[in-house]
Amino acid sequence: MLVERIAAGNAEALGDLYDRYGRVAFGMLYRMLPGPEAAEEVTQDAFHAVWRRADSYRPERGRVRTWLLAICRNAAIDWRRTRGKRGEREVSFDAAPELLADAKVDEQVVDALRAERVRKAVAELPAEQRDVLSLAFWGGYSQSEIAARTNTPLGTVKSRVRLGMTKLRERLVDER
Amino acid sequence: MSMAEERHPTEDLPAYTLGALDEAERIAVAAHLETCDRCAHDLAQFEDALYEAAAVGAVRADPPRDLRTGIVLRHRARVARSTEWGTRAREWLARPVPLAVPLALAVLLVLSFVAVGTARREADTYARALAGVADGRVVALGPQKNAPADARGALVIPRSGDAYLVLELSSPPNGKAWEAWVIKGQRPVAAGLSGSGGLFTIVLSAPLGAGDVVAITLEPAVGSSAPTSDPVLAGGT
Repeated sequence: MLVERIAAGNAEALGDLYDRYGRVAFGMLYRMLPGPEAAEEVTQDAFHAVWRRADSYRPERGRVRTWLLAICRNAAIDWRRTRGKRGEREVSFDAAPELLADAKVDEQVVDALRAERVRKAVAELPAEQRDVLSLAFWGGYSQSEIAARTNTPLGTVKSRVRLGMTKLRERLVDER
Repeated sequence: MSMAEERHPTEDLPAYTLGALDEAERIAVAAHLETCDRCAHDLAQFEDALYEAAAVGAVRADPPRDLRTGIVLRHRARVARSTEWGTRAREWLARPVPLAVPLALAVLLVLSFVAVGTARREADTYARALAGVADGRVVALGPQKNAPADARGALVIPRSGDAYLVLELSSPPNGKAWEAWVIKGQRPVAAGLSGSGGLFTIVLSAPLGAGDVVAITLEPAVGSSAPTSDPVLAGGT
């Protein structure tokens, strides 16, 4: 298995992982960070983290792509934190609805049909649920921060997060 | 308390997946997940759905062409290092390289020449040198049409301090030197000179910006104000 080869110290296996998921990882980081230079730097950091943590990967706890993208996202959040800013590409509240609904599908990464289903599942979320998911995921905001910045009761934000995520799970996981 | 009696943080799992919990809540859920397979399973499903949506929402952008090379080179180097040196040496080498990175790198290279047999030295010092990069971005330089055989190079952009080159090139002919250039648009700026051969470093004396190209040419030993030969190695930032 690919991650086992990485854990065994096989650098070529890390290259194989990059071949498989590097493009989507870079594309996700490009969206989260101020520009391509930052995305490149954090992609390197994330693959280094994969190298160091490969022996902690548990297949029963998730797919490799999910594991890798979670590491990438955490690396991006760390990058923002250490730079003391969310980045010039900070997610604006006005732009939030576009972030998931107007997804730029990368046909080379995601099967086109599958991508269409994913996009549909996201688009069918009520706008207020989609907004909080976008702000939390792409913007890195906590529920409390979202509540404060939108003047929405914290309980309402929590409810929207819970409902939105539950619908995504129902529509994207159950249909496999 | 048995698992059946324990309260599962079902309502917080979606926000945990998003990283949107406050710190105290996050710690509590993380601790629960350590011991609860049921919640770990639910988390895995939330994560799968979320990152599937994120993959579709990723920007369509080509990563830099040398990003893969930089990632593999850096870790291939770590393997070469760890198989040659004992545990103590590995621990020593794994320490973060402090401020004067190029200087520390030079010391590392001298040590490696003393300690390693000739064949292995020639095969692996370049890789080991890159393994010394503890905190920065590595960009591979591509050999150009007239590059000497086995010419290799990488640009290291540390998070702080000057960018520098790790180069493996044959010794320049008498009266010649390897000169580094930072090319901004169409304008080359002289960025460092070395008469060395084998494995050596050049700290870039010219500022490096996004989109600049770095190139190495063979020039008179005193250096040139503009390149007089074709580049042997080149790569973009």
